[in-house]
Amino acid sequence: MTTLPINAKNSNLSQRQRLVVELERVGKSYSLPKEGGRMFVHNSIWALNEISFCLYQGETLGIVGRNGAGKTTLLNIMAGVLSPNVGRIKVEGRVVSLFNLGIGFQDELSGRENIYLNASLLGASRNEIETKLADILDFSELGSFIEMPLGSYSQGMRLRLAFSIVANLNFDILILDEILAVGDVLFQDKCLRHLVELKQKGKTIIFTTQSMELIERLSDKALLLEHGKLVFMGAPGECIRRYRQLLTNEAFFVGLPSDKGDFFENTKKWTEDFTQWGKVLGTQEAEIEKVVMFNRDGQPITQLEPGGFLKIRVEFAAKATLKNPHLGIAIFREDGAYVYGPNTNFDGIRLDELKSGRYWMELDFFQVNIAPGRYRLSIAIWDKDECLPYCYHCARYPLLIIGENKDNALSRVPFRLKNKMFFWPKPKVTLILQDELINFFSHQQDAVDYDSRYAVFKLLKVLTRAKRYPDKIFTAQPLELYLDFEINNRNRNQFLWLGIFREDLIFCQGNLIKYRDFPLSLTFPSFDFLCGTYFLSFGIWNTANRRFLSLHHGQHKIKVLFDRPDHGTVYLRHLWRFSWQR
Amino acid sequence: MADIIRDTWLRRNLLRELVVRDLKLRYSQPFLGFVWAFLTPFLTTVVFYLIFSLFLKVRVVGVPFFLYLASAIFGWGFFQDSLLGCCGSLVNNRNILKETKIPHYLIPLAICLANFVNFLPSLVVVIILSVFVLKGLSFFILFLPVILVLHLFYAFGLGLTLAVIYVRWRDLRYLTESVLLLIFYITPIVYPLDYVHQALPGQLFLIYNLNPFVGVVNVYRICLMKGFYKNIVMEKLLFTNFIWPFVFAFFCLGLGFYSYFLNKDKINDYLAY
Repeated sequence: MTTLPINAKNSNLSQRQRLVVELERVGKSYSLPKEGGRMFVHNSIWALNEISFCLYQGETLGIVGRNGAGKTTLLNIMAGVLSPNVGRIKVEGRVVSLFNLGIGFQDELSGRENIYLNASLLGASRNEIETKLADILDFSELGSFIEMPLGSYSQGMRLRLAFSIVANLNFDILILDEILAVGDVLFQDKCLRHLVELKQKGKTIIFTTQSMELIERLSDKALLLEHGKLVFMGAPGECIRRYRQLLTNEAFFVGLPSDKGDFFENTKKWTEDFTQWGKVLGTQEAEIEKVVMFNRDGQPITQLEPGGFLKIRVEFAAKATLKNPHLGIAIFREDGAYVYGPNTNFDGIRLDELKSGRYWMELDFFQVNIAPGRYRLSIAIWDKDECLPYCYHCARYPLLIIGENKDNALSRVPFRLKNKMFFWPKPKVTLILQDELINFFSHQQDAVDYDSRYAVFKLLKVLTRAKRYPDKIFTAQPLELYLDFEINNRNRNQFLWLGIFREDLIFCQGNLIKYRDFPLSLTFPSFDFLCGTYFLSFGIWNTANRRFLSLHHGQHKIKVLFDRPDHGTVYLRHLWRFSWQR
Repeated sequence: MADIIRDTWLRRNLLRELVVRDLKLRYSQPFLGFVWAFLTPFLTTVVFYLIFSLFLKVRVVGVPFFLYLASAIFGWGFFQDSLLGCCGSLVNNRNILKETKIPHYLIPLAICLANFVNFLPSLVVVIILSVFVLKGLSFFILFLPVILVLHLFYAFGLGLTLAVIYVRWRDLRYLTESVLLLIFYITPIVYPLDYVHQALPGQLFLIYNLNPFVGVVNVYRICLMKGFYKNIVMEKLLFTNFIWPFVFAFFCLGLGFYSYFLNKDKINDYLAY
């Protein structure tokens, strides 16, 4: 049926110089109304997270991913329909997009009238429409149907009209969202040929599809999305291979934990024995040969920024048959505080046995929300009951998180702020804590409950998705803190202080927040603290005379539960991958 | 400000298509077509005339009641239709907004302009009637374009504000309907201003006149009806009738764009459902 020149790809090399699309750490969250329908209270879901890539003029990009992976959101952002919540995006040139079958098609109007309406929605001038009208009519092959009201068209005919309009206008970048699925084979063929022609003219085309054939044929680059994260970008063949792998390896993905099942209230928070640090332990039935850390682009690294992506690749060899092995990776701070230690057992992955041979495993942390500082990694291959390791490299691999961290905090769990009022701008957060503030807390052991006449604490509510006043809070679920102070003299040196302490008084995280007005709501899209008890500390800090106008420290406890006994304090979303033979 | 004007100018073709679409949808299917643009206001006037002139015996100094009613009620109809149309406009046009990047305010603007175009024929009829009944035109008819533009600003500015808020707060439509009904009755559309003057003591009457629609209605009448200006001069209401509507029109416009620019990045997120 289709005959396409294979060398249609990689033409126009000379025009490849100009960057037309550039995305930098783009993230998009949707807020959905809460159950119960209270006004202005929403859950947020991150549909896209930390997407960075760029595209040169004349390139064709195919986007693949499962349903709900964020493909359409990404296209929407590139088309300028949605704005990202974080990150930067630059798109140069005129963008024409086709998401559904026809933008603003009106059933009551005739096909021809719809062409005028639709084309002007896409930004065409009257002049341009008049000149392109013949091409559009010709391309659509609708004949006398063009004078009939659109309501009488079939889906296929609508697609013909919509695609004809989009494809024949002047544009620099064309965005298509799974639209070639409808339409008969002949028309699909025609569209494909037209797209190849457009490519040769040096237009940039971005499209999503479930047809791997289309990706292979049309695109120069392909991008794989999974759960809003960019998993891979590069050659189409490689991308398709990874996508297929992703579809078969789905069972290994560790998603958000559920509310059901058994819960754990506490876990290991400190390392057991410093004297073992740096040693190689275990029965040596397996041997860890190589440990490498990568960033998102696959470059080997030894340091990264808070919130960055980290892939740890471990290559190991089994010398004998290993029965029910568990793989584990742990992160410690240099002072021995256990940050996080996931392992395949906790994540519910069962491996029956590994025959002797060479293997690799990879662990992806999507967002390393750890505060800057020096950390060490332990890598272990345990036996079934986790009492005797086959091989254990204890705190052998250094990891540096770069940035300033005077206060020796442990985590950088992101949160968002909003005033409850609709019209007011968002407050700002600063991470730079003053020395006096840090000193204050390093000497402060007891709980404090202090208000001055300038600031009086009124209310703190902890809201979760399930209930308004929950008795249970779960790791990695959305959490909203609703704070109210009565401020009697407002001045711009006053900041809201919010700190989270572990019950053994380890400082987890603290921020100074420039507020506009109270009440204020702080939303953690994912409250990434592992099970245990945490203290909240909040107050009004004056940066000019460097003291608290109001401080409530250690009065409010949050008890966090989790359905997995993961060790440590900070939960990091992660994904395991491994292969049998290397 | 310059950006808004430039964007609108660049998208003038789209604006025209949207206005044309609106008018076509309104008049292409009914058998009588564009005749309804004349017929609907005529029927409304007849209803109010019956109630207020024949049953309630409202009388106006200097001009026949039918003309008095017609000169204001069409303008009110334009304002009310625009506001109610604008209120749900962003939500109703989500299929457009979610799929292509256009400045959102073009949609309320197109609705206001469509209603405005719809309003003009009835205005022509009122002018013709006025010429015949009062045997001549007022000099103030020259100011008619000014008040029309101001009235358009009222409708568009408030309409844009409502449209933006409605995206997140869907209760607004019902509230708007009730408030519009209230404003209709606290504005001298179906009764003359001197009735109010008799009923309310001095201070209260001034507060009543702070309603920005009182000025608009009065200016319409001064423009359209010969000799009517004497009624207004008698009341010594220079500020509330001329300056206050002027200020308020620009306030509305400012409010509309202020609320739009504060929320424009978030609007599309809330249009999904």
